[in-house]
Amino acid sequence: MNNLKTTKLNKIIDKVVSNIYLLMTLISASFMLIIIIFILFKGLSPFMSNYQYGVVNFLDFLFGTQYRPDMGIYGVGFIIINTLVSALLALSIAFPISVLTALFVVKIAPQRLSEFMKVVIDLLASIPSIVYGVFAAGIITKFTMTIASMLGVQTYGGTSLLSVVILLAIMIFPTITSISISSISSVSEDLQHASLALGATKVQTNFKVVLLSAKQGIFAGAILGVGRAFGEATAVSMVAGNKMFGPTFGLFNTTRTLTSTMIAGLKETSGLDYDIRFSIGLVLLIIILITNFGLNFIKNKVGKTHEKN
Amino acid sequence: MNKLFSVSDVNLSYGDKHVLKDINIDLYKNKVTAFIGPSGCGKSTFLRCFNRMNDLIDSCKIDGTILMENKDIYNKKYDVVDLRTNVGMVFQKPNPFMMSIYENVAYGLKCSGIKDKKVLKQRVINALKQAALYDEVSTRLNDSALSLSGGQQQRLCIARAIAMKPEVILMDEPTSALDPIATAKIEELIEELKKDFTIIIVTHSMHQASRISDYTAFFLNGEIVEYDITKNIFQNPKDIRCENYITGRFG
Repeated sequence: MNNLKTTKLNKIIDKVVSNIYLLMTLISASFMLIIIIFILFKGLSPFMSNYQYGVVNFLDFLFGTQYRPDMGIYGVGFIIINTLVSALLALSIAFPISVLTALFVVKIAPQRLSEFMKVVIDLLASIPSIVYGVFAAGIITKFTMTIASMLGVQTYGGTSLLSVVILLAIMIFPTITSISISSISSVSEDLQHASLALGATKVQTNFKVVLLSAKQGIFAGAILGVGRAFGEATAVSMVAGNKMFGPTFGLFNTTRTLTSTMIAGLKETSGLDYDIRFSIGLVLLIIILITNFGLNFIKNKVGKTHEKN
Repeated sequence: MNKLFSVSDVNLSYGDKHVLKDINIDLYKNKVTAFIGPSGCGKSTFLRCFNRMNDLIDSCKIDGTILMENKDIYNKKYDVVDLRTNVGMVFQKPNPFMMSIYENVAYGLKCSGIKDKKVLKQRVINALKQAALYDEVSTRLNDSALSLSGGQQQRLCIARAIAMKPEVILMDEPTSALDPIATAKIEELIEELKKDFTIIIVTHSMHQASRISDYTAFFLNGEIVEYDITKNIFQNPKDIRCENYITGRFG
């Protein structure tokens, strides 16, 4: 009798708990939904005919090459290009360094060094972006200035595309590295033994078998990294220079990214100049989405996926 | 009969654990030699001495000499990459790479520096044929190796090994993860392969050893208790421990 009672009770508890899980899931999912709806609503409003602060032409906004709030011109086309250029340049610097670092930490470094490196990388990942920002403003800009003056180029106190790229590369390095480390360490020993037993050297094994097998995780790291590069506002706005027209391709020129545009003077403005930042946020979301698709596409092309089907 | 390996006074330990004790044995060319014995008796460890896979374990220490065609394979001048190209290995669990069927077989060849696509293709196809897999996969060489069944994967691993044209193939319980039908196929294949290769196989199955091998060595606690022609071992074992093991009284 007693036994039957507890079974019944357990069943009720099971049901209650699983409903609590469902509730939690719904709450977190609804945050996502609320944010998207809010940004969509706010971000699209400047393009609607009934907008109170003067309608902005959507195409001018999307393809414009000038961003002059003082003249009421809001074009983000060049800013989109700047953002892509800076993030992808940063990725192309950070990605090889990160992957090779991860390979070194997991496969080559002696255990003590490897443990130490893992701690360092985790610490790097947890440094707040504002700290990276002051570092960039204080050190990286000086470095850029020095290089520029060696090449005989003028800079605006070092604020430049190059500074942004270096800063972002440093910031996304720990993200990509730590994810690559965990994915490289989970490559099965069997595969490495198989490769070595076929007379492959350790280097061949690491590059052809280990990296290939860890590809999924490494690309997940790259996607997170590039997401961070796109999304970084605080630190970037400290070294970008916020140029008002563009796009910027010269490494020593000032630049302007979507995030630095959104954050600049946010608290001191209102009306259209305030609302347009939501439109830029919307553009940023879409760009991140497209880039993720792009990276996934590249992933499937590299060394062909032969996962279990 | 041609001696291929000549092993004398081999002792091997992992840290404090003495795994192989005073091993002395000669292995013959183009024969199948089976290593049998209870789990943990050192037979797999011994197998890995022939292609120096034990080198990968830091705590592993090995003394004594293993001569392959009168050359000491543990000599510092002996290149371990050359050794492993010459002594292929098939593992307990099929372990194809996350590549296509074709690329799996071509992998070792490419690593050894063969770049000519025609040569590669010919050797891949020959190896697949030799491993009795070609007919099953000829139309889908570019499919993932992981889409094959377990038995096919193991034959692919054999193809991968024989593509290197090694002299010896080491097999570490190659059928223990396979069903009876796939096992029978692999055993048939071994029968074919011994014309061209010397095969050393570790197995837990008495029947397998008696079916496919020419010589059998019985291991117990890191020693070779008895080594003879397979027929003698199974029909007329000299050592009582060997007889007990073969008749199933322990192990």
